[in-house]
Amino acid sequence: MTLPSSRRVTITGYGCLTALGVGSVSTWQSLILGQSARVPITAIPVHGCRVTKGAQATLPNLPHLSAKQVERMSRASRLIHPAAREALSMADLLSGDGSCRLPRLETSISTTAGGMEKGEQFLQKVWKGQRGNRATLIAQYQAQQQIADLQRDFNFRGPATIISNACAGGANAIGHAADLIRSGMADIVLAGGFDALCELVYCGFDSLLTLAPEACRPFDRGRNGLMLGEGAALMVLESEEHAFKRGATIHGIVAGYGHATDTFHLTQPHQEGVILEQAMRQALDQAGLSASEVGYINAHGTGTPINDISEAKAFRRLFPVSTRLSSTKAAIGHTLGAAGAIEAVLSLLALKTGLLPPQLNLQDPEPDVMEMLVQQGEQLTMRSVMSVNLGFGGSNAALILTHS
Amino acid sequence: MKIEVLSSGHVSASGFAASATLNDAVCQRVGCKTSHPVALLDSMAPELRRWSQVPRLRRASAISYFMLEAAHQALEAAPEIDRSRVGVVASFFLGCIVYTVRFYKQITEDGRRYASPILFPETVFNTPVSHLVSTLGLGGPVYSQVGDKSCWATALRTAECWLRLGSADHVLVLGAEEFDPQVLEALRSTGLHTRGMVLGEGAGALLLTSQSNGKRVQLTGVADGYGFANKAQAMDASRNSLAEFPRELPILSTATGWTQSIEASVAKGRLLKRDERCFSEAFTARAAWDTIHGIELLKKNHLEDLVIPYWGLTQQFACARFTNPSA
Repeated sequence: MTLPSSRRVTITGYGCLTALGVGSVSTWQSLILGQSARVPITAIPVHGCRVTKGAQATLPNLPHLSAKQVERMSRASRLIHPAAREALSMADLLSGDGSCRLPRLETSISTTAGGMEKGEQFLQKVWKGQRGNRATLIAQYQAQQQIADLQRDFNFRGPATIISNACAGGANAIGHAADLIRSGMADIVLAGGFDALCELVYCGFDSLLTLAPEACRPFDRGRNGLMLGEGAALMVLESEEHAFKRGATIHGIVAGYGHATDTFHLTQPHQEGVILEQAMRQALDQAGLSASEVGYINAHGTGTPINDISEAKAFRRLFPVSTRLSSTKAAIGHTLGAAGAIEAVLSLLALKTGLLPPQLNLQDPEPDVMEMLVQQGEQLTMRSVMSVNLGFGGSNAALILTHS
Repeated sequence: MKIEVLSSGHVSASGFAASATLNDAVCQRVGCKTSHPVALLDSMAPELRRWSQVPRLRRASAISYFMLEAAHQALEAAPEIDRSRVGVVASFFLGCIVYTVRFYKQITEDGRRYASPILFPETVFNTPVSHLVSTLGLGGPVYSQVGDKSCWATALRTAECWLRLGSADHVLVLGAEEFDPQVLEALRSTGLHTRGMVLGEGAGALLLTSQSNGKRVQLTGVADGYGFANKAQAMDASRNSLAEFPRELPILSTATGWTQSIEASVAKGRLLKRDERCFSEAFTARAAWDTIHGIELLKKNHLEDLVIPYWGLTQQFACARFTNPSA
């Protein structure tokens, strides 16, 4: 790809909610301490599944909304709301009454399941012949409703792109927002992703035998599956010019974005990770960086046997062994459409704090990346980080973030 | 930069080609207590069956076949292009709804332990697009985008972004939906299914290019991001959306259901009637068919410009402007 880089894309706000905590600060503190959010799942019915544990978030109170509003919201809407508040507030885009200062704010947001539990409840009602409340369930089920909830609660309007590129979607949504700014089609975009636990998706992963019966162990030779999670993360991206004009604090730069589609198999990546390498090279080219200038990679690292070996081979070919690498999914779970967004926020926090999230649950490291995996207490010594994600259907995406 | 329409593909119960050759859709009736007409595709039609014989697509959902056929038509009409430089943006309202409902029913009836690992991957929004790029050998960027019918316009905008940045030389923009009886039930529950509305299924594809020859119809603007939460806001949203383009331009009549009264009010005196034979309500697929049909009318009637509205049924209104340099 030949991408003009005339418009630098800045990050002026970010926020997240994960199973480790509400907000980026509490999530980051727990992550750096090496905590994992794995608990028995109680939010959705999982009785009968082979695995019944995962990274379940504690639903936050939403004091700015009425009890009735909160009751009608999907679980997904309840997760994304605090992430949006944190990001907009940090970007100084919230006025005193909690409304967005910009009446028009474009969004680029990823999800795989939207408000799926509402759709499940609708189907149960249809099959049981029950009436009542069906319209609300259908309205809340659709992915666009979570964006509409955000627009209503923060009082803004604007184009809404909802990307559903499976587990790479969060990175795609941030990358797309950066593309919109680089192309001159937008000055400022609220970008990220969200997904909530739901029965259908949980049972789907359980049926594929991809859920880890014990702890999730990315890049360990004894790994045996992923830990499903939930959460949301959003970033405020804006052109440097726009950020300067309104005096916004710049927390980082989206310097590079690459994406490519792996047609090897519907649910498995190419064994050598060649398409991931292609996406990472695109991102490096756009950022004008060499691989040796990237200090840390937040890997997709699901903990499944096939994903991690494919990634490891790509990392080994492209990066020197001095590059630091970890997958934070052992701590916060695999949050699907939110994963790329949450992990981009965590990568940014690594840049800002100079601390690196350790690779949890490591006993017997995958040889290709053995020397790259982050140990507890390691620090970042370089000015650029990368976050990569892969998804069903072969979506591969890489983001490079740098210091402002 | 000029963005031109290179070719298109159309798959609906009315036929498998440009709407000039389409027939009246033969409607079936679906429903228990009250039956409703729906315009469904014949899964045994050779245009669809050929895709089911591709090894990777043996277990694919119908929506994958619809998309493949529409994309194939568009690409076949432009054999000279480099497929490694073709991006794909697909827009969905419901996506793989048939397998999603079937998978969830299986969990509910047979137990969670017996969920099918074969069905689950086919429920994912991104799956039909993955099948498409794999089967047709496309190498550009790929997004699956979701929303109400108006997300077709958002997909046009994504294509514009990629073409401007040079991420692709050509972009296939797709709208595709498949029918499941639960969709009818859902629309009736929400009051979105109104008298006379015929639900359908299928796909439409528009192949856009940045390699201009100056003679083809051009995409000259997209106005999206006009959301609403009630009918009064919907009226304002549609007015504001249309106001992004000059007042004298004709507007293709595309509204269905409850949006028809809004269209009649805000586009009064500017409406260009569409061919009523060809179209059922199939959300993003319908938006694609409307676009293809509008472009044909633009050429046939030697019009300079046409605004095509996308009346999202649940979230927002959007519209796009197409310009005919040969008029």
